[in-house]
Amino acid sequence: MKHIVFFLLGCFLVQFTGTAQQKTPESYLIEDIQMPEGLDAETGGIAFFPDGRLVACFTRGEVMTYSPETKEWKLFAEGLHEPLGLLVENNSEIIVIQRPELTRIRDTDHDGVADTYDKISDAFGISGNYHEFNYGPVKDRNGNYYIALNTASSGGGFRPNPRGELNLMGRDSTTGKKQMYAVVPYRGWVLKITPEGKTIPFASGFRSPNGIGFDDQENLFVTDNQSDWVETSTFSHVRQGQFYGHPASLVWDENLKGVNPFQIPVEKLDSMRTKPAVYFPHGIMANSPAQPLYLTKNNFGPFTGQFLVGEMNHERIVRVMLEKVKGEFQGACVPFYDKKGIHFGNNRLAFAPDGSLYIGQITHGWLGSKGLQRIVYTGTVPMDIEQMKLKKDGFELVFTKPVDVRSIREKSAYALRHYFYKYQKKPATEHIDKSNQSDIQEVKIRNIKISGDRKRVTLQLSELKAGYVYELKLNDVISADGTPLANNLICYTVNNLLP
Amino acid sequence: MKRTGSYRYYRLLICCIVLLLNSRTTVQAQGVSGAPQRVVRLNAVTGMQFDKVQLTALPGENLRVILLNQDEMGHNLLITTPGKRQEVVDAALALEEKGPELNFIPPSKDVLGSLPVVYPGDSASFDFTTPETPGAYPFVCTYPGHGFFMYGVLYVGNDVKMPAPENDLNIPESRRLPDKNAEKPATANHQHSEELRLHPYELQPPYLYRAFLEGSGLAGIAVRLPEKLAFCWDATACKLQFAWSGEFLDNTDFWHGHKNAYAKVLGDIFYRDQTLYPLRIGNKDAIPSVEYKGYRIVNRYPEFRYVVNGYEVTELIREKTDGSGLIREFRIPAAIEPVWFVFSGSDGIRYETGTGKIQGNNQIVYTPGEARFFTIIMTY
Repeated sequence: MKHIVFFLLGCFLVQFTGTAQQKTPESYLIEDIQMPEGLDAETGGIAFFPDGRLVACFTRGEVMTYSPETKEWKLFAEGLHEPLGLLVENNSEIIVIQRPELTRIRDTDHDGVADTYDKISDAFGISGNYHEFNYGPVKDRNGNYYIALNTASSGGGFRPNPRGELNLMGRDSTTGKKQMYAVVPYRGWVLKITPEGKTIPFASGFRSPNGIGFDDQENLFVTDNQSDWVETSTFSHVRQGQFYGHPASLVWDENLKGVNPFQIPVEKLDSMRTKPAVYFPHGIMANSPAQPLYLTKNNFGPFTGQFLVGEMNHERIVRVMLEKVKGEFQGACVPFYDKKGIHFGNNRLAFAPDGSLYIGQITHGWLGSKGLQRIVYTGTVPMDIEQMKLKKDGFELVFTKPVDVRSIREKSAYALRHYFYKYQKKPATEHIDKSNQSDIQEVKIRNIKISGDRKRVTLQLSELKAGYVYELKLNDVISADGTPLANNLICYTVNNLLP
Repeated sequence: MKRTGSYRYYRLLICCIVLLLNSRTTVQAQGVSGAPQRVVRLNAVTGMQFDKVQLTALPGENLRVILLNQDEMGHNLLITTPGKRQEVVDAALALEEKGPELNFIPPSKDVLGSLPVVYPGDSASFDFTTPETPGAYPFVCTYPGHGFFMYGVLYVGNDVKMPAPENDLNIPESRRLPDKNAEKPATANHQHSEELRLHPYELQPPYLYRAFLEGSGLAGIAVRLPEKLAFCWDATACKLQFAWSGEFLDNTDFWHGHKNAYAKVLGDIFYRDQTLYPLRIGNKDAIPSVEYKGYRIVNRYPEFRYVVNGYEVTELIREKTDGSGLIREFRIPAAIEPVWFVFSGSDGIRYETGTGKIQGNNQIVYTPGEARFFTIIMTY
């Protein structure tokens, strides 16, 4: 009898809380896009034509168009070798990166099907290692294209007839099995290709740069995936001539001719490298970040000027916010859309003309999914952390809506830790997939200040150190109107302190 | 700080002793209670799967579970109480930022046994005594995201009647197939490749795939022609490398990735280029420099465009309508020097041309005027 009473009470509580939560309308809604029958929808790239059609490429080589109005799929091009990105030039022309080259694909007779496939650049090597994926392209205002080239997998060899010069110094000869490698030109590089077709090695030091994108000021950002030398996944501001940490690619650096990059001491490599603007803590925020997409318009919620970044290994899209400290970008990452119907494998992102976000998904043998989804902003402002900014002795949190002061004024509302990711060659005994947080410590909050409009909370900390990730978890924070905080875990990368 | 250091050292020492004791247990193959121990081997395989998804054991049986990770991602292994797999998977996800340090193993009474994350290529084991209560005990990887796909079931009982895979709701849907070990019929990919639905459209020759093909440079283009003919044009070398008749390609491994696989040529290769380069411009003994430019589709046939010694060349290859060989149409619109087409006299092919003069048994020469458009018929 007692059991039945408790059971009924339980039911009542579930029902009650259920109704209470229904009061808050959703800010974002997600839906699946119906894919054509017979398509293995491993999505390599998506974009929109000016006329509103979606164009997407898939790893079996198809390029298909989709009309959001009629929901009809049509074949545009076929036969490509593992296309992993595309860019729209106009209603009848796209640029696709595939395994052998960057290709311009045109429909010159305007019958809706491509008829011309022109090479833009194949001035980079192919060793035949399965992991030498190519990513991009993005285009700057001067018409230059940028692509990013994956290194070869330590889990596989290369074929007897590589394309391009072979340099075995691009592969570690001592414990080479653990390290991704670059035995043919420009693996691990971002390349720039001029409108005249000249290919320029632009920046080095990448492992698996499966994401490349500009902000609105022509700053180029690239994501990289955790593994050897990349202790956790990264988001970097990429500038010409700079090196981003994975040594294999340095074998193709004109200034280091004849140098075995794997024999350069770690301290020296560390001094040469440009640090990521943001670390994505592994197993916490993202394990395999993909394309960054800059939010230029304010019709997708209150995050204009920030990036959305696809994540392969979580049912999640991550949001990245940046600020300049000592002249360098740094900032924080926070989930943007987490679970609630989004799939794994969030590889490519594009905004439709109607302002909704399309997501292209891929597995390609790793954790992921296939197909496309679409997220629509309902116009209801989410209760979220709009910004996390560095202060002299702590952080300022800016919320999208006024917070309920009771939920945020006590120190118990915050769990703050710091840790750092050591720049190192993976110890031979350790697996490359293992990510190590060094010096994990709880950080004490000394003082909490809440602004008059209740949208800004300043946290004064007992200490603040450069070179650390500050991971902040907010417990049971709600807005003044009772909406729970949409995402409660945010990680700020402190490369520099305020002067 | 020093105390922490020595404490850690102390802990390490204990770990070593435990490991030593454990390894003794292995040698003796004895379980905790001294009863005989049975070894259960599980492999984590590509595609987030355990190789076995149905296991059986006796109540109270001592098992040593060995997990070998043959996949490219890290995986852990948990055994849970019956019906609690999803709850445990959710609890692992709820660990959020604490997940990595706990190996994504949630502290829960429903976790009966567990193995921390095993990285690719590694193996690890743990000892597990099955419960006395018969039932279906799930095993699952709770690495974030994996738990939805990567699980199986351990049936514990004295006289277990395991359900057929197709009826077993305790295993992933993708594994509910009858007789998964049965050999695939040899014809599955080979005999009817064009009838299999590989794309959201019907494949009508001619069509092409850019792919890795054995016998070609790594920028290969495989073209399917009507009359069961096919050829590989090498976009690095800028030439026809080989041609075959019969079935086209098996792309299964090539599309799957994760290995340095090739698109497999099916059918019989009847031609391989054996020249250093077939076209010579101005000087029949000089091997020209070449650069690939692209192709355009003409009535579904690709017309390759490339540059030979500074001259733009186009080449379109079609089938002989009786299926006995290939017709190659070359255009060198700006030719102002003679052009040679060179071949091996012993490649098993009969060469014919409309214009041009056949010289000896291995070359055809064209005047600059003739070189603007010429056709070579290759019959095998």
